[in-house]
Amino acid sequence: MDCEAFREDMLDVLYGEGGEAAARRVETHQTTCADCRREMAQLRKLRGDLAHWGLPEGLIAAPARGHERRPWALAAAAGMVLALGASLALSGAEVRYDPSGFSVRLGRGTGETRALLDAQERRHQEEIDALRAQLAAARPTDQDALMRAVADMIRESETRHDAAIQASLRDLRQRSDAQRQYDLARVSAGLAYLDGKAGLQAARTTELMGHLLQASQQK
Amino acid sequence: MSPSDEELVAAFQAGDVAAFDTLVGRWDRKIRGVIFRLVGSHEEARDVSQETFLKAYRALGTFKKEARFSSWLYQIAVNATRDRLRRRRRRTDLSLEDVDESAESALRDASPSAFELMESGDLSRLVAAAMAALPEEQREVVILKEYQGLTFPEIADALDVPLSTVKTRLYRGLGQLRVRLERQGVRGAAAVAVPSA
Repeated sequence: MDCEAFREDMLDVLYGEGGEAAARRVETHQTTCADCRREMAQLRKLRGDLAHWGLPEGLIAAPARGHERRPWALAAAAGMVLALGASLALSGAEVRYDPSGFSVRLGRGTGETRALLDAQERRHQEEIDALRAQLAAARPTDQDALMRAVADMIRESETRHDAAIQASLRDLRQRSDAQRQYDLARVSAGLAYLDGKAGLQAARTTELMGHLLQASQQK
Repeated sequence: MSPSDEELVAAFQAGDVAAFDTLVGRWDRKIRGVIFRLVGSHEEARDVSQETFLKAYRALGTFKKEARFSSWLYQIAVNATRDRLRRRRRRTDLSLEDVDESAESALRDASPSAFELMESGDLSRLVAAAMAALPEEQREVVILKEYQGLTFPEIADALDVPLSTVKTRLYRGLGQLRVRLERQGVRGAAAVAVPSA
């Protein structure tokens, strides 16, 4: 079933738009389509959840009435002048809001204003240059200090690793020596046992040979 | 009977500056509300709202009578909001370079978990967070539809997109919200009893 064809109708019905025709189409489709029936129910529930997102208190002040609305315009204009003041001042533009409305004048004003703005620009530029110089001077020092600290940390780490490796080697060597001595002792003991066993066997053979020789002579 | 928006615009264009005040009084709450939902900040909402009305004031003289004032105003508000969010993203991209891991982890720790929010019954914050995670285009449509109550054609006018695009963005946005809220444990969409045919 082509459920996508009913999607726009479904949204219309969900938000109360589309009229009776759309509502009928959706209803007919949903009679035979459990998926769309479920989706519509889920969307309705979702809308219920979304409704919990309210605006914070104090965001919206009560609307002004009558003459009280005029101060909004003045406040808005003041806010705008403050917000745009820097950029407009640099471009030499002038914004006014008075009972006759907004007025924007582009270009520099009187010579005095211009001199004032130029002086302000120069002052800002000097401050920016001073900050840049400070930053440039401070950065290498900080970076050098950082590099030294990192190098020290690496050296300390290497020293620690070396000491640990040496200790491990010493321990290994000691264990190896002990094992070698133990093995040698066992080999030696084994050889002695074999020597002893061979000697006893030789004695017995010699004795047996003696008996045989004696018996043959008696015959 | 109070004059319509279009009548007030005509009065303003004829030289009645006070007509603009009436329009502001009529639309300030709604415009500030939609901007707040889009930017998520009280201060920025106030700034962008003032910016919106200032732009409207400047352009109202050339407003065409066949257009609908509310859609035109929403269009200015949405564009101003987009500019603000773009600037904010640029600032965030720069400042993120300076954020170290411990600071990020501190930020994560400071945010209440979804469970805590659910525990405190603060569904509002969960919805706000899910909304903030939506792509900008979908968020705009959902907010204009769900919280401003604009009709589909009004949203299409305000955003300057075809009607079908509005519905597609809305459908996708609602779908994403549903998934995100389900993941957060909101007992919404997934637990709905399906009515029988």
